[in-house]
Amino acid sequence: MTSPTLTRTAPAATKATARRNRRSSREGFKVNWWLTALMLVASLTVLLPLYFTVAMALKSPDQIGTGTGLAWPSPMNWENFAAAYVATNFPRAFMSTAFVTVLSVLGSLACSSLVAYAIARNWNHRFFRGSFVYLLSAMFIPFPVIILPLIKQTALLGLDNPAGVVFLHVLGGISFNALLYIAFVRSIPVELEESARMDGATTWQVFRKIIFPLLAPMNATVGIFAFLGSWNDFLLPQMMIADPALQTLPVVQMLFQGEFNTNYSLAFASYLMAMAPTLVVYILAQRWVLSGVMRGAVK
Amino acid sequence: MNASVPASLLSRRSLLRAAGLAGAAAILPLTGCGAGASASKQDGVTTLRFMQNKPEVVDYFNQVIKDFEALNPDIKVIQDFNEGNFVPGLVRNDPPDVVTRGFAQATADFVKKGIFADLAGLPAASTINPEMQELISSWGQYNGTETSALPFSVAAAGVIYNRDIFDANGVAVPTTWDEFVAACETFKAAGIAPIYGTYKDPWTLAQGMFDYVAGGSLDVAEFFTNLTAAGAGISTAAPESFTNNFGPALPKMLQLASYAQNGAASKNYADGNAAFAKGQAAIYLQGPWALSQLVAANPAIRLGTFPLPVTNNPDDTKARVNVDMALSITRNTPNMAAAQRFVSYLLEPDVVNTYNEKNAAFSPLKEAPAVTNPQISGLNDSIKDARYFQGAVTYFPPSVPVNNYIQSFVYGKNGDQFLSALDDEWRRVAERTAV
Repeated sequence: MTSPTLTRTAPAATKATARRNRRSSREGFKVNWWLTALMLVASLTVLLPLYFTVAMALKSPDQIGTGTGLAWPSPMNWENFAAAYVATNFPRAFMSTAFVTVLSVLGSLACSSLVAYAIARNWNHRFFRGSFVYLLSAMFIPFPVIILPLIKQTALLGLDNPAGVVFLHVLGGISFNALLYIAFVRSIPVELEESARMDGATTWQVFRKIIFPLLAPMNATVGIFAFLGSWNDFLLPQMMIADPALQTLPVVQMLFQGEFNTNYSLAFASYLMAMAPTLVVYILAQRWVLSGVMRGAVK
Repeated sequence: MNASVPASLLSRRSLLRAAGLAGAAAILPLTGCGAGASASKQDGVTTLRFMQNKPEVVDYFNQVIKDFEALNPDIKVIQDFNEGNFVPGLVRNDPPDVVTRGFAQATADFVKKGIFADLAGLPAASTINPEMQELISSWGQYNGTETSALPFSVAAAGVIYNRDIFDANGVAVPTTWDEFVAACETFKAAGIAPIYGTYKDPWTLAQGMFDYVAGGSLDVAEFFTNLTAAGAGISTAAPESFTNNFGPALPKMLQLASYAQNGAASKNYADGNAAFAKGQAAIYLQGPWALSQLVAANPAIRLGTFPLPVTNNPDDTKARVNVDMALSITRNTPNMAAAQRFVSYLLEPDVVNTYNEKNAAFSPLKEAPAVTNPQISGLNDSIKDARYFQGAVTYFPPSVPVNNYIQSFVYGKNGDQFLSALDDEWRRVAERTAV
């Protein structure tokens, strides 16, 4: 399924690179100013909100209402971070969120890739084709519809805590992640596995030593989705975690939002602290996604 | 590129290992906490869970809990402000022991289903002002007699005004509709926007001009009792209909709207707070919740509140109130005795009066002292004489988008269409919910 599209796009890609090479060969590296300008404007959609977040986090309450909001606060109010840190009991909420996120990411990678491998390599069995459709159909059920029954169920199982949130994140991610993985597993030649089996590898060894490493680019993608999904998740922890001491950051941060009152500066200072790990992971994982795309293109 | 592959593999592996370690480190303390919190009784100490509905007062309750625990060493109280966990708690059959909620339709639904215990027997129940208790019981009582909630804090809303602007223009607090209109004309002539409108947030129109004018012109509670009694039989022509009761109120709403600043349609609540704090208008139709925001934006501002006079008889003037926090104990709590002790402590005059004084609200106790806070002391008389009403919009079921209808009426000025739409909506909901 993927090979025809590959051959179709390949000539277009080579033609484009050839054209670029011809132009740049004469006067070295040439900048496409129109595209650069477009990208600069597009990057504002990320940078501007980020600027507002940082500026807001450094404002005192009386600086918030003044001016257009674009002005940099002076003097800067660094105490907001300390106050938000204390008010949210940041270390504990952070650990709880980290617990949920790390396990959700690892669980999603392990479970979804196993499911995808099993389905992709057993496509000729009706049971596996059926289970693929079954998993996909889960994507059509909106989460809020099933949340109350889920809460009842998890409470009966003693999972009304971060562990239950991890469990549901992994479970809920399987349908979408398996969809990504299955398309990718199909593009891996079966011959690779056959040669490993000739050498005496078991199914588990084939998966662990050959398939899983080859899935690296998709692992990065799934990992990023799983990370963002569980780090930022609000609804599930809010409703599932019974003990307020184990609550995750997004829920604890509600502290700054009353029905009619929002403490914007503390809220944004706290959002910024909660965002930091996401930014770090984004910068780290970005490289893998790009290298993964390149690796796929060369093959 | 080949050279970079092992490097990235290595870093990925080391990162995964680090992540694994972090995960393992996270599990240990968390499982420790989990075991401690799930047991509600340990070494003779009862653990109560207290869910309150106002995140901005967490600090006050932390202090209250500390004082309570010092007096009652056998009880430990855990505060939770995550109100979204209340329904899941009921589903889990493990709700918090003591809850505070804003009391209106949604909480009344829980009351009717018998979620809360009867508090009538508590000695503290007899210290509550019966008029304020009526604000709760008027929504319906479980088994017709039970006291499912005791008011803890009553927010009274009126017209917030900028004292400096009033003084500078020689305007006194109006006590009749004509005086109010004259005041607005004075400001207009002086080039000051009389009223700051924030129509982009429809709820501000609903709780502001609609509720104030409706509450001042008719008996809101009685109207909705009759309307509910009429049920699905309601029509535009019926004597209980909106069309036949709200008509006289509408021109006054439009008159209020005509005194708003230019561009009110594109301003929201946060804009309004910022602008009013800077003295860009004389009058702001908002409740006490806006006061802290206004003072935060401009600590020097001098504010006051008066109830909006809607008729020319000063005795008709009423304030809009809502029970901002009502205390309840869940019926099935295994810690009933401890929960009752905690609720009784919260209703001790010291605790409840201090809370309300600090948060620009009115204490529900019979013996409550008059409010001295100049920002809301203008409402003292209305509260003392029980001249108040609960906002008309709070009676609507959530399935009727009444705020949006009010907004479109203020924009389009078509009163007949507005009221007949409300009649139709009410009938539709009544038809669906009739058993």
